[in-house]
Amino acid sequence: MITLMSVFKILMPMLYLVVWGTYIWLFYTDHPTARRLCTRFAMSTVILHTLCTASRGIILGRLPMGAPAEFFCALALAMLATYLVIEIRIKAKNTGFLVTGVSFLFVFVGSAFSTTTPEVSPFLKDPGFAAHAVLVLFAYTALSLSFLYAMLYLILNRQLMKHQFGLLFRRSPSLEVLERMSVGAVKMGVPLLFASLCLGHLWMYDLADRVDSEMAVMLSPWDPKILISWLILLGYSVGLLGNRFLGWRGKRMNIMAVVAFFTVVSAMGLVYHFFPSFHNFKSNQPISALSGFPETAAEMLALNEEAGR
Amino acid sequence: MIGPTTLHVRSINHKNAPTEMREKAHLDPERAAQLMDALGGHLADENHVPSESENGCISVIPVSTCNRTEIYLEVTEGTDADALLRRCLAEVGADADIFFSEHATALQNLDAVRHLYGVSAGLESMMLGEPQISAQLKDAYRQARSHHEPGPGLMRAFQGAFRAGKRVRTETRISVGAVSVAFAAVELARKFFDKLCDHRAVLVGAGETGGLAARHFLQHNIGNLTVVNRSLDNAETLADTLRAERKAGLDKKAEKNSGGLLAPAPDPQGKCGKIFVRPWEELTDALAEADVILSTTGATEPVILPDMVNAAVSRRKGKPLFLLDIAVPRDVHPDVANIGNVFTFGLDDLDGIIQGNLAARAGQLPHAQGIIEEELEEFQRWLEEIDIRPTVAEFKAYLEDLKDKQVGFVRKKQSDEVAAAVDKSLQQFIKKVLGRSVSTLKSAQTKEERERDLETLRRIFAPEDRD
Repeated sequence: MITLMSVFKILMPMLYLVVWGTYIWLFYTDHPTARRLCTRFAMSTVILHTLCTASRGIILGRLPMGAPAEFFCALALAMLATYLVIEIRIKAKNTGFLVTGVSFLFVFVGSAFSTTTPEVSPFLKDPGFAAHAVLVLFAYTALSLSFLYAMLYLILNRQLMKHQFGLLFRRSPSLEVLERMSVGAVKMGVPLLFASLCLGHLWMYDLADRVDSEMAVMLSPWDPKILISWLILLGYSVGLLGNRFLGWRGKRMNIMAVVAFFTVVSAMGLVYHFFPSFHNFKSNQPISALSGFPETAAEMLALNEEAGR
Repeated sequence: MIGPTTLHVRSINHKNAPTEMREKAHLDPERAAQLMDALGGHLADENHVPSESENGCISVIPVSTCNRTEIYLEVTEGTDADALLRRCLAEVGADADIFFSEHATALQNLDAVRHLYGVSAGLESMMLGEPQISAQLKDAYRQARSHHEPGPGLMRAFQGAFRAGKRVRTETRISVGAVSVAFAAVELARKFFDKLCDHRAVLVGAGETGGLAARHFLQHNIGNLTVVNRSLDNAETLADTLRAERKAGLDKKAEKNSGGLLAPAPDPQGKCGKIFVRPWEELTDALAEADVILSTTGATEPVILPDMVNAAVSRRKGKPLFLLDIAVPRDVHPDVANIGNVFTFGLDDLDGIIQGNLAARAGQLPHAQGIIEEELEEFQRWLEEIDIRPTVAEFKAYLEDLKDKQVGFVRKKQSDEVAAAVDKSLQQFIKKVLGRSVSTLKSAQTKEERERDLETLRRIFAPEDRD
């Protein structure tokens, strides 16, 4: 099984590279063969990567998202899978080279720097937390794709305004499709984020029952990271409602998507740096040393301090 | 039975002849039929197998379109095709001299077939990759077939040409992208709107250019089209014409569908292509409600002014407004271009798109030529085998005859199972012998050597020598 994991470690970047290559081929030539193959390759890669991740999870007995390298691989998978859903729904393939390129980069970094025994938080062993983390990953990936498509919309919009009819004009989908892709990504991201927040809350209360009172106090729904996530959810929901009922369309809607994404990134960055949060699941201790969850606040703080160092 | 043949083409096209020459060379269907009669390419035996006429002509396929007139001929080897064609053209009253002037291109055999493949793929067309020529070639071929059975060479060449054309169009992007102003307008609109059926267009002006652009938008299923014109009567007339044409077009498609031809129903729900008329005074309202504005009036001053567009945009909730001004002088005031969410384009922009598309098509030429060479190789392989095929068929018949006799003999002496086994075994034997014989015949270094080998085979297994 370990040998198989090693094979996958080499195979995955190669598969992502093939997918990226096919989408580049499609973008530059619009060749029918490339059009036919790209989605199939991407789908096969997603299936294989999912199987590989699941196998790795079973072998390690935890969610394989502990080490940064693992996180990059998971991010690549989430990006490609989310993109595929949007591509199949909207039936527009010509923007795939962007997303698959980023996915390849992530999976390459993830595979190149992965270790066989990453030091991870014991939280990752908990199925409730694992589901919460996966949902969060997919939700934010979808919101990132929304940003990407909004940017593409604004670039094409600018080219049309300036009467530039280059390769992007010839190959990219229409403004309407780009907008649908951007809004479609938000439509995916919002329910995922909502589900992940709800699950996170449930998991938090469940964890509070299992730890001491001092530690339980720290598990607060008023944690800044949770609050900011709810605000993000609210902001994107308002955007969706405006699009659906108030006719928010076109350039304005796409500028809003770009601004929203920058706000998300800045807000998260600020919260991480300036506010304490129990949302820190990194650990430098080897997994063998952490057989269970931190049961006391001291353990939790020690873990966070360790991670901070 | 036809002996060795040669293929010829005489072509007068936009590359080598000016328009007046092409007009003179044009062969209408009636004259084309007369030419086929004169050349005697109509002769066929009782089994509809083509045979040569007294003058050596096997078959002829004239192709005449607005940009080219070409005569494809298959004659028996040694026939003076030029003299024959000149005489027959003169007989039917066509201007034979044009076909033998410096404005005509004459090609033979593989060069003629290469040319035909290029024509079929649209590589020889004025607008590189244009698809109509393929249908025109098919019509000419069908016309010729209804008149006489084409010879093996021309039949194979045309079938190969259709295949090559189809491959080039599906495997390359040679036919992709607008190369006409009206289609470029549609292409540009499609960069804003995915499905035109969900959008509304306004045609400002009811002139000829506007009508043409409107037809293209209707052909691509614009949701609805409103004609706004200073003269309401002219607007009504154009709208009626467009409605009638659209109905006729849909009926024609329905007919094709019922005939099993590929013509997908463009608008199964019937929600696209509705045509309305509005008076000139409601132009601002029409602008606010439409997504695509086509302006083509003959006015000397701009008719679409910034105030009107501003008023329209304020009612559009951020939706982009696509304004296409194809009038000279321009209908849209230059300041309109500065209004947010309004995209104005003119004839120069459309020309830029067309030039870009033509350049992109030209970039596909090497790939297209590669496909044509592949198909030509296939034709050449067929050509190389054509002279050995009748002899091999005779040889095969002889071997089959022998096998049947042997199997019949075995069946009398042994069980049916044994006979079946012998039959199967002998079939394998014949296959191997034929395969070896064909490869030996093909390996002949010279034509004389192959002839000698064929003659030897014929002498050994000639039908009259059997039993």
